[in-house]
Amino acid sequence: MSIRILALLTAAAMLTGCASTASPVLGGGNISYGDTKAIELVTNEFGSTDLQSIAESMARSLAQSGVLQARPVIQVYDVKNKTSEYIDTREITTSIKTQLMKSGTARFASDNTDMQSQVDQLKLQNQSGLYKDATVSQMGNMVAAKYRLEGSISSIVKRSSDYKDVFYKFSLQLVDVETGLAEWMDEKEIRKTTER
Amino acid sequence: MTRLSCSAVALLGLLLSGCETFRSYETELTAVNQHIQAGDVDAALVLLEKNNSGDDKDLLYYLEKGELLRTKGDLDASQAAWAVADRTVTQWEDTIKADPEKYLAEFGSLLVNDKVRRYEGYDYEKVMLTTQMALNHLARGHFEQARTDIKKTHEREAFISELRDREYLKREEEAEAKGITAQYTDLQGYPVQTLEAPEVLSLKNSYQSAFSHYLAGFIYEALGEKGLAAPGYRKAIELHPNEPLLEQALVQLDAPAPGSGQSDVLIVLQAGLAPARDSVRIPLPIPTTTGLIITPLSFPVIKSELGSGLQGGVLLDGEALPLVQLNNTDAMSRRALRDDMPGIILRTSVRAISRSVLQKQLNDNVSPLAGLAVGVFSAVTEGADERTWRTLPDQTLVARLRLPHGEHLITLPNGQQAQVKVDQAFQVVALRMIGSQAFAASPAVQITPSTPTSLAQAL
Repeated sequence: MSIRILALLTAAAMLTGCASTASPVLGGGNISYGDTKAIELVTNEFGSTDLQSIAESMARSLAQSGVLQARPVIQVYDVKNKTSEYIDTREITTSIKTQLMKSGTARFASDNTDMQSQVDQLKLQNQSGLYKDATVSQMGNMVAAKYRLEGSISSIVKRSSDYKDVFYKFSLQLVDVETGLAEWMDEKEIRKTTER
Repeated sequence: MTRLSCSAVALLGLLLSGCETFRSYETELTAVNQHIQAGDVDAALVLLEKNNSGDDKDLLYYLEKGELLRTKGDLDASQAAWAVADRTVTQWEDTIKADPEKYLAEFGSLLVNDKVRRYEGYDYEKVMLTTQMALNHLARGHFEQARTDIKKTHEREAFISELRDREYLKREEEAEAKGITAQYTDLQGYPVQTLEAPEVLSLKNSYQSAFSHYLAGFIYEALGEKGLAAPGYRKAIELHPNEPLLEQALVQLDAPAPGSGQSDVLIVLQAGLAPARDSVRIPLPIPTTTGLIITPLSFPVIKSELGSGLQGGVLLDGEALPLVQLNNTDAMSRRALRDDMPGIILRTSVRAISRSVLQKQLNDNVSPLAGLAVGVFSAVTEGADERTWRTLPDQTLVARLRLPHGEHLITLPNGQQAQVKVDQAFQVVALRMIGSQAFAASPAVQITPSTPTSLAQAL
């Protein structure tokens, strides 16, 4: 009997221990955290699942293509949005960059949005007289890109009284800056249909 | 007390609930607008406060207050008032997102008059709210903050679009189930032509604004986000086809940004006041247990604000500046009414049927006097909803051009001049004209009175 009680007490202590490791929850109501990879079907407009699937598909395809030898430097250009939908295409390219960077297959030069900050910082270090010479990043050492990555997204929307069908096509290509040759290209197609 | 008497008391309570039943919004706002037309925005604000002295202020109060404060040039206070309005609209959205079926189910079953319901705002007002908020930020050159509001504008528009698609389908089903077949074209004596005008029919719907999307394109372009600017311009073209100004924006999107000492300037001239809503009584056949009876019912009509629009041209540094109209609140308001009319007819008819049933039962089972009381009360309290955002600009016109940095002079049709300081790579110059008065909210713009020379030039 005493062994049983001891076992129960041990189990209770273990369970209490488990509970105490969880973070306390403040508030509650209707707020909850969801799975960021959950398939989003709230509306048939471009959504988080589309962004993730395009980025994953393109990053995998490019990383496995064999083009990216010795971690080349790539300049990423904005993806042209040819749809009538407010799609933040920069988020797609940021996700592709992140995945390629994490896989260690490529490095990225400052793109259009970062370039001004990069130039400002270099000027500040070299022209303001505020920094120790030994720590100042020298002008003229920025690494130029071997490739540029550019693409577009387009859509075809068809409506009837019962259906709305949206077809997205995302294209991306890697072009050798020196030769102008497209070294890699891929497409991702997505079809979303809503029945009213 | 019998169940019938209770029903009668409850109905009277519903009819009386809130002083909204007896409030004439149009009378209040006509007086407010007279102060603005006289150039005295402070007096307009005092009157608005006086008319809304209670603690429980509604969406409409904050919409009007924000616009008056913007006209006065008090951008911080305007933004604060509109932030409250925006939270109210967001709550409305959240309630529907939480349970859309409940919202749609309530649609045709409302026993209370539309004007007693808490003001929800028309869809075009919800879209224009955040567009005007973006203009407040742009008056100070704050493009990043304007981006937040303009993003909210097109997200809200997408939500409204989805909701209305479902609502119109549901309404058709309900009208069919209740046997109400009347359409606004059947209303004898109703000014049908106001809802059938070409400028109303050419709109895709009541809430999508070519100006809001064009402004979105301009803001995203200024921030270097061409992937988001393109759909802004594209949507504006879809809503306002064959307009070179809009097509040019899309073509020029890949052109180099303005060089040093140059500015890409968007001149926005907002003129006039949004139209009013009035009430007309139209006899309509109502199905009852004893057959169809003809009952006079109240329906809203749009009353355009005459003479407050833009009359004449604008000069920039002495040269004629062609402006393109991208927004017409009068047409949007009429389109909103046109799209709402089936629902208004349905709700008004359902209320009339309920009243006639109650009146008959009171007559038969309680006393003819009780039945008469319900009839008299209905006649007194039944009126169309006159509430609408009246200080919202009627017309929005734009011009876009590259200008060298420095001082520039815009001469308005009334001869008043706006001294504009251009010093940003992208800049929005927003001006407001109401009657013969001109206003500017931006610190970069100074309005000066007209002179005989400037008036002669403008004419």
